[in-house]
Amino acid sequence: MSEPKRLHPIAVLLNILKSIKELVLPFMLVIFIPGRNEGIPGWVQPLAVSIIVLFLIVRAFLQWLRFTYRIEDGEFRIESGVFVRKKRYIKLDRIHSIDISEGIIQQMFRLVKVNIETAGGTQADAVLSAINKSDAERINAFISVEKNNKVCDPSGMEQEGWAGKEETMIAPSVYKQTLPQLVFMAATSGAVGVFLSGAIAFISQFDEIIPFGRIFKNYEDFIGMGTVILTSFAITGLLAVYVLATLSMVIKYASFTVMKTEEELIISRGLLEKRQLTIPVHKIQGIRIIENLVRKPLGFATVYLEYAGGSVEDKESLTIMLFPFIKKKHLHGTLGEILPDYQTMTEMTPIPKRALSRYFFRKAAFIIPIIGVLSWVFRPWGFLSLLLLPLGILWAYMQYRDAGWNIDGDLLLLSSRLFSKQTLIMQRSRIQSISFKRSWFQSRKELATISASIKSGVHSRVGVVTDVAENDCQAIESWYVPKKAVDTQ
Amino acid sequence: MEPENRISNKALTVWRISGIIGCSITWIIVIAVLVLTILFDWPYWIIGALSIISIIQSYLSIFLMPLVKWKRWRYEVRNTDIDIQSGILVIKRTLIPMVRVQHVETKQGPLLRKYDLASVEISTAATMHVIPALDLAEADELRRYISRMASVEEEDV
Repeated sequence: MSEPKRLHPIAVLLNILKSIKELVLPFMLVIFIPGRNEGIPGWVQPLAVSIIVLFLIVRAFLQWLRFTYRIEDGEFRIESGVFVRKKRYIKLDRIHSIDISEGIIQQMFRLVKVNIETAGGTQADAVLSAINKSDAERINAFISVEKNNKVCDPSGMEQEGWAGKEETMIAPSVYKQTLPQLVFMAATSGAVGVFLSGAIAFISQFDEIIPFGRIFKNYEDFIGMGTVILTSFAITGLLAVYVLATLSMVIKYASFTVMKTEEELIISRGLLEKRQLTIPVHKIQGIRIIENLVRKPLGFATVYLEYAGGSVEDKESLTIMLFPFIKKKHLHGTLGEILPDYQTMTEMTPIPKRALSRYFFRKAAFIIPIIGVLSWVFRPWGFLSLLLLPLGILWAYMQYRDAGWNIDGDLLLLSSRLFSKQTLIMQRSRIQSISFKRSWFQSRKELATISASIKSGVHSRVGVVTDVAENDCQAIESWYVPKKAVDTQ
Repeated sequence: MEPENRISNKALTVWRISGIIGCSITWIIVIAVLVLTILFDWPYWIIGALSIISIIQSYLSIFLMPLVKWKRWRYEVRNTDIDIQSGILVIKRTLIPMVRVQHVETKQGPLLRKYDLASVEISTAATMHVIPALDLAEADELRRYISRMASVEEEDV
């Protein structure tokens, strides 16, 4: 593969689409802002637009022409750039993972998009926007051969053992998400909120362009219809948004599959845009279980992977779902198949009873001033804010109940709740540092806040549990840094 | 069982000086408001409240806080881990195993240089920890020691 290769010509189209995507807002402003183009002849606007479009097409073509990739001397080499020539050489053994995805256009031409990720992540990684599937597989094979040559020194070979390797080759563990599960997951995901706020933000952008006032004036009868019909309209609207949001989630995560080979997890998903992520198991730093308000009572959870990789530009590579929707009972068994290192019963040691009053106190410290201000400023309706008090008490109690920790062999589990319950499972050898914090109030009750950091993506993920008993903290400390080792060495 | 080493007691002087620098900004504002009050007949309670606030701030940031902070600051570097304690109201203890340390560096600002001090920054893959204000020789020795110990056992991230 040492001869330079170009992308599939369809990449020209992809380049054009990409620049149109970037230009869409300025374009809209030029075309739609009324009252600006007086005095300018009518033919200027179409001419300007067509010149810009022509320029985009030529640039996209040149970009495609200049973009070549090849594998040479153990390096992945990309040369690109129209005005500024860029040469990016990536050492093959520095490549962390390969992410293969298919957009709608790629699917039509049986092509794939390949993202090559390296360590570090802050740097832009290599993206091949459209190549043949067979080419992608050849690159993949080439890279993994190269990496295995480097990684598998004889000692490593013996440790892993050939037998185990063959066994996993024959029967790779597979985890699949069924359609009903996905629909249920999407329905309980809270994606509606994101969808709604997005819609509201979008509409408020056009507040001044769309004459809401005029529309509503003409429809005074409409308002006259009474609150019953209005409410039913609102509810129907909300329902429609909810269904749309759910559908878009289902499409995004359709046919979700996790496959395990000897050293890698391969996660694939998507209907319109297919994505495939390859994650080396030894880069996995921890596992995060999220149980939101709706799913927790039903016994379901979402499981995320924390891993040292991914790039800043590609947000999705930073939070990776391992199991979008799983019954918590089944988690133990499924983890055992996919990631045996992290197999654990998620039973937590609760924090002591004396911590409960601290949880109430902390909520009261900011809820009571809010109630005070609201009641004072918006009398008499402000007194409704007193309802926040029972809500705050409930919230504090739930946070207290869900806070906990556990040590299971080489694993540390920390759980806490902000809104959703989060359980972080970390291996001892992956925890970068542990801190204990005590305020004066806490030390009076012999409590401390514990936090443990692991590397995740480009930054870190910190698990925090507030008000753990002090002797429990000492247990965690001596588990993390065994004191005996100090004497013997 | 607290970590045993304290940081240099010259740190107290350095923190006090930076406290004074911080307070001088507030005092300049107070003087400006005083001038405005005299020129434009502003009500006197504004300048009164401002001066009380800045007196309290000066006391806290020049006298009390550096002292408490210095008393709390402790560290200990063992051959398997680094143990750091800091804080004013909330006491924080951090444990960093040697094998997790990725690199160590010493730093000197103008104030620290004047007093022949340096701070030591310890970075892991995910976190960064600072020991402020050690004597320069001690800081250099610590940096050498930590980087030597950290490279003994090399593990993946």
